[in-house]
Amino acid sequence: MRASISPALLFSSTELGPMRMTYLIRGKVALLLKIIIVSLASAVLLMLTQSAFAQKEYVISAFLALTVLALALTYLTKISIPLKFFIPGILLLIAFVIGPILYTVTMSGFNYKTGNIISKEEAIIQVKARGIEADPSGISFDIKLGTLDGKEAILISDIANLRYFISTADSRIPVAVNDVTLNEYGVAITAPNFTILSDGQMAGADKSYSKVHFQYEGEYFIALEGFDAGIVSRQVLEYVPATDEFKNLLNGTVYRDNGRGNYALADDKTAILEPGWRAPIWFENYTKILTDPRVRGPLIRVFIWTVTFALLTVLTTFALGLLLALALNRPIFGRRIYRSILVLPYAMPSVMSILIWGGMFNTEFGAINTLFGSDIAWFSDPNFARVAVILVNLWLGFPYFYLISSGSLQAIPSELLEAAAIDGANPRQVFRKITLPLLLQILSPLLIASFAFNFNNFNLIYLLTGGGPRNELDGEIAGATDILISYTYKIAFGTGTQDLGLASAISLIIFVLVASISLYSLKKSKVLETFG
Amino acid sequence: MNTKRFGFAGVFAAFALAVSTLVAPSASAATEIVVWADESRGPNLTKVIAAKGDWVAGYTVKVVTFSSFDALKDAFDKATDASGPDIVVGGNDWVPTGAKSGKLAPLVLTAAVKARFNPTQFLDLTYKGKLYGVPVDINNVAMIYNTKLVSSAPKTFGEMVSNYKSLKASKGLKAGLCIAGGGMSWGAHSVFSALGADAYQFNSRGGIVYGRTFSATTFGSNVRKYLMDGKKSNGFFPATDTGCKDNFLAGTVPYAVIGNWEWADYVAKGFTMNLMPVPGVTEGSYGHMFGSVSGALLTTFAAKHGTEAGAKSLLTNFFASTDGQVRYQAQEKRPPAEKGAQADATVTAAQRGFGSAASLAGIPQIGAFLNTNKGGANYWDSAPAYWTAVLIDGKDAVKEASKLASIWRVNVEAGKGDL
Repeated sequence: MRASISPALLFSSTELGPMRMTYLIRGKVALLLKIIIVSLASAVLLMLTQSAFAQKEYVISAFLALTVLALALTYLTKISIPLKFFIPGILLLIAFVIGPILYTVTMSGFNYKTGNIISKEEAIIQVKARGIEADPSGISFDIKLGTLDGKEAILISDIANLRYFISTADSRIPVAVNDVTLNEYGVAITAPNFTILSDGQMAGADKSYSKVHFQYEGEYFIALEGFDAGIVSRQVLEYVPATDEFKNLLNGTVYRDNGRGNYALADDKTAILEPGWRAPIWFENYTKILTDPRVRGPLIRVFIWTVTFALLTVLTTFALGLLLALALNRPIFGRRIYRSILVLPYAMPSVMSILIWGGMFNTEFGAINTLFGSDIAWFSDPNFARVAVILVNLWLGFPYFYLISSGSLQAIPSELLEAAAIDGANPRQVFRKITLPLLLQILSPLLIASFAFNFNNFNLIYLLTGGGPRNELDGEIAGATDILISYTYKIAFGTGTQDLGLASAISLIIFVLVASISLYSLKKSKVLETFG
Repeated sequence: MNTKRFGFAGVFAAFALAVSTLVAPSASAATEIVVWADESRGPNLTKVIAAKGDWVAGYTVKVVTFSSFDALKDAFDKATDASGPDIVVGGNDWVPTGAKSGKLAPLVLTAAVKARFNPTQFLDLTYKGKLYGVPVDINNVAMIYNTKLVSSAPKTFGEMVSNYKSLKASKGLKAGLCIAGGGMSWGAHSVFSALGADAYQFNSRGGIVYGRTFSATTFGSNVRKYLMDGKKSNGFFPATDTGCKDNFLAGTVPYAVIGNWEWADYVAKGFTMNLMPVPGVTEGSYGHMFGSVSGALLTTFAAKHGTEAGAKSLLTNFFASTDGQVRYQAQEKRPPAEKGAQADATVTAAQRGFGSAASLAGIPQIGAFLNTNKGGANYWDSAPAYWTAVLIDGKDAVKEASKLASIWRVNVEAGKGDL
């Protein structure tokens, strides 16, 4: 086998025949190329691995490391030829489909919401930090950071009383006024045995000095509030690791893990310490959907509207798309121009279209009311809002069905239509008995996919009506045009409190619903058998 | 070396590299304080901090700018230990959720630093008795009137309505008073208040009154009297803020409530800053406007980065200092929160105008009352819903006001625990 390869061999492979192609795929140059490509991909993935590891995202980090290994094993060995073709798809499927589903399933079993976001270890650190209380009289001192006998120390200036002392974690040593050097503000900057930190040293010492409780009087200590000020404070909440509880040192009350991600008083469950942490609550988010009246109440109404909206959208867009496809299926003057124009709504970003339509439906300034001389409150009246949603989705969706219907009409053998005409069928009968059934057979999977897409058409609802109108004064959470996914979004993010656990549970229910409806429809239409 | 061995060598090398990167030594001690800000504040903070780099000895300050306030909030919600900032310049309503979720860290200010601010400003940045940041700039609204349409400042709400009705046809007015800044909840509070509906009540000593709310009958009757014509809106006060600014600038609306962040647009169109609070139904009374502050908030990430003391020093030395706020507001052009900066000669007439309006009728924006939905809806959703229900849907003004009063009373009671 030759060690080098000419450019001609690389760029005119179609003229080379199977032998030369094999040479390209299996030669040393090919191997070198493979190693370079795999190495580059590995380098990027390893960078991401390290970044994920640094951010303590160990599962992601492990997955990325395994991906590097899998790519190397697959492409640099002969472990499996088919795997060379499948591995990118498999890895992407795991990363972007299976992973998120598993994560959603997991999170639906957790109390994961505002106030319960971080880990328990982190929550304990923060509760301890918040358990420090400043002296009520607000005593604070000017300080200088330094060391005393090599230990972290601060030189404290009580300017009002002309008192100075050096404080460490263990001791507080008074310093006579004659022994200190004062700056222009009366703040001590030198004292015997005290070595002041330079500006450069202070930044490096930040982490360790910020954690030290410098001795003051009794239970009080001095906590750093910047490099220049110390606040007299005391620890009010103390963590007891042996019993996993927080104790209030002033009144003796005890806060215990309530099993829901917070330390709480035993006799008052609402008295919790913040922040809390993510804690497993198993199926509680699912039962909440059934038992919490604020969630359960509007759910059925929203579900009915979701199904209605998705069905109406599919029916109207398909009907209009097919009608236009039939109209333009015969040679008429300017057909190409018409076709181009009809595809325009599809070519325009839907976000822009929705926002423009939103403006056009504006009651006071909108083009629609202006054109028709009406004063319809499109987004205030529930029924008009629903009509507006369907109309805008019709505008956005019909070009897609026009395109696929046009293509499908070409696929119907003209002999069938001619034979029907010879047998005496009129055009309406030909359409009803031959064209439409054949089209439906071809387009069924796309109609079902369109239904599933619109079942979760969040963008349209969010951007056009925001799910409204809803009567907030009567305590309504769901609006008249809210579909399940926008309703879920409101529950999860709409009230200032993010309940990601509950949102995950509802998302999974939506997933099961859409999957069930789609599978049932596919089975009924026997499409899968056709693809057999 | 044959192909198979070559392949395995590649696998081994890749794996070894993966392991070696994971056990690589961590970076040295941080000497950089990272501040996150939105698209307006970020560039201005960058300029000011670059011009004087010694706000915290031993540290450099890096300002990260986000494309919008929402993008900043979104990024902060998703921030991790490694990526999060030491300080974030954000809204006061970020404090309760940030504190609950463990993203914001409390701080204690010395008496000298506290004295630089109006005590009510700290209410905005306090959650459950702990302070989470320092006030940076004041956000409030004020009413501006077009002197080409009305010659003098109105003394009562009724005077504005009369002026509108008399000028409507001859001047082609599209509305009388509209909300150009702050939306139909935050911006429109001064209209609610002028007609008798405050989101929460104060006693004569300035303390909050719990268990009581506005009179639905009084407020509803005022709405009927001044804003309605039978069951329909009389056109004086639109239920939405759509088009308000453009209409005011075009001279088809005589009175508009504008935000202090947008006054430059009005000046550019030739308007003078004749600012005042919305007048009440009786002479000498005014509708209360929310005066909130944006804060420089300390994050819990600072402690993890080892920059906690440095970040606290930056908050007091720069964000809460006269020098820092004067320099910053010279660029940002919002009313400064710090007293010394407010009195500085560089503060513009517009900044002073908003300040005067706030001192006449400003009340603190208390997120604990406004953000909760314990009453069935939070303030932000229920307030615009009232305007829609009455002015668009034609529902009874008093009956809807009763619902609103009930919601706000429960919300204030529920929010008490978060103060």
